[in-house]
Amino acid sequence: MSELVGYLISGIAVGCGYALLASGFVAVFRVTEVINFAQGTLAVLGGFVAYSALTSARLPQGLAEALGVLAAGAAGLAFGGVAIGKRGTPPLASLVITLGLAVAAYAAEIAIWGDTPLSFPALPGDFVLAGAHLLRQYLLVIGVALVTLLALGAFFTRTYTGRGMTACASNRFAARAVGINVRRMGLFAFALGGLLGGLAGVLLIPIQPLSFNSDVNLAISGFAAAIFGGLRSFEMALAGGLVLGVAESLVAGYAQASYETVVALGLMLLLMIWQAHRRLELA
Amino acid sequence: MRAVAVILAATVSLALPLWLSAANLTVYVLAGLYAVTAVGLSLLMGYAGQVSLGQAVFFAIGAYTVAVLSLHGVPAAAALVAAPVLAAAVAAVVGVPILRLRGHYLAFATLAFQLIVLSVISNTAFLGGGLGFTGIPSLGIGGAALTSARGYAWLVWGVTAAVMILTRNLIRSRPGRALRALATSEAAAESAGIPVVRYKLAVFALSAAYAGFAGGIYVFFIGYAAPGAFPVALSVELVVMVVIFGLGSVWGAVAGAVGISVLVQVLNQVGTSPGMPQYMPTLLSYAAYGVILVLIMVFLPGGVAAIIPPGAVASARSFVSSFRRRQ
Repeated sequence: MSELVGYLISGIAVGCGYALLASGFVAVFRVTEVINFAQGTLAVLGGFVAYSALTSARLPQGLAEALGVLAAGAAGLAFGGVAIGKRGTPPLASLVITLGLAVAAYAAEIAIWGDTPLSFPALPGDFVLAGAHLLRQYLLVIGVALVTLLALGAFFTRTYTGRGMTACASNRFAARAVGINVRRMGLFAFALGGLLGGLAGVLLIPIQPLSFNSDVNLAISGFAAAIFGGLRSFEMALAGGLVLGVAESLVAGYAQASYETVVALGLMLLLMIWQAHRRLELA
Repeated sequence: MRAVAVILAATVSLALPLWLSAANLTVYVLAGLYAVTAVGLSLLMGYAGQVSLGQAVFFAIGAYTVAVLSLHGVPAAAALVAAPVLAAAVAAVVGVPILRLRGHYLAFATLAFQLIVLSVISNTAFLGGGLGFTGIPSLGIGGAALTSARGYAWLVWGVTAAVMILTRNLIRSRPGRALRALATSEAAAESAGIPVVRYKLAVFALSAAYAGFAGGIYVFFIGYAAPGAFPVALSVELVVMVVIFGLGSVWGAVAGAVGISVLVQVLNQVGTSPGMPQYMPTLLSYAAYGVILVLIMVFLPGGVAAIIPPGAVASARSFVSSFRRRQ
């Protein structure tokens, strides 16, 4: 029993990290129709900057993480500028551009941080739930992710910028007709995606050490969660992240850790095919 | 004029192995193998309009088919024939559900499929596990074995030429026109009587067969197969090769494969020159790939060939013929 609770909580925590990554995918895709494959890179960058702020600059915990998140947001904005900055770039070309940016970022990451996995200590202490000893970091990840996702909902419905972005998501031509700068909203979306990715990075790096090429797995997990809601719904992205995180954790716990990617990706593929099948039947 | 260019290209590619150094000969062989794979991917992406971010998986399937069969004593030639057949069969089976997906979803599904296959290979002892296979015999028929890199170079570029001709004929045939039609609009193609699903599946299987064949030769040439040799980065690299000179061109795919291979080799040589830190080659090749890919897609979303104005070829041809008439 305590074993199961342990796997569940750690799965939920990791799943919340995936949900944050997935929200980054959703934010960018809704507004720009672009899949930002550099989303995993943004998480890695956020984690690395926080690591340097903690170990080299000796900033207090909290401030270091905030710096990491802001750096990822700035990187997201810069990536967006390259990917959609030029008028008339088709979404598929933008997708390839984000892939190129992710590869180019490898060079910068290796030059600055080297090619070994990095991590910093989690929140000290643990807690006991139903007999299972769990890291306090898990609670932190879950709490921060839930608060962020709630705030995201408020941002999209209550603020001018957020509503402008929602307008672009539902009809970009109509949004332009009422005077919304669609391209600027797209750049905001990329910056927001960067912040969300960076947040996922700083929260996950104490649990799973990150190296420069961890971005592939992070991006795949985030995308898998995002596809749960057809890349358009934040709530479904959270659900997708939780399903994925818990599935991985249970497979790793009860079966074999090396199969967690297979199961998670297989699950994602099945869901995508099922959705396509359903769309076909409805049409 | 076109014939002259083709003959010139063929002569140069046949003559090159005679004076290339051993290291460069390896790059030349690999460039040819990537060219074969890229032509298939170009057919899939440029003509049938289907995106694959996991094409290297079929290269890997071909490579492992040859590795397993030849280590179990199957004659090399038979193993090499089995490689494209198995790759195409896997593509045909996986393609049934996967090709329902479109655009981004399909791209991601192919990527996920590659990761799943690589993970399964790493966890299966029969397939060599994470360490892979070594000591794979060289390609040979009867008593004669192909061991020199020069021999492989001729074989590979012969295969490249054959694949180019096959693809060109396919593009110009009735199915080729049907593929272009379904890339533009599946609904319109369907209503014009084109069996869209069957054609998409067939071209997916054909592109997988090209990749599988190249992967098979690769294993005979390199002598080992491990999951780490076929990363997602290789799939991305193949997409770069295809898009860099413009989608939907057989020559463009070959030029892209050669261009990228040469570029990587040059970067490696610069990176490994004395006085450079040890991680320099990886660093340089990541930076160069990324930056070149971004620059091309930002400034030429249609590929490098897009800078040649559409009328240029025609006007060059008329210039040459007018010159002939004057004589």
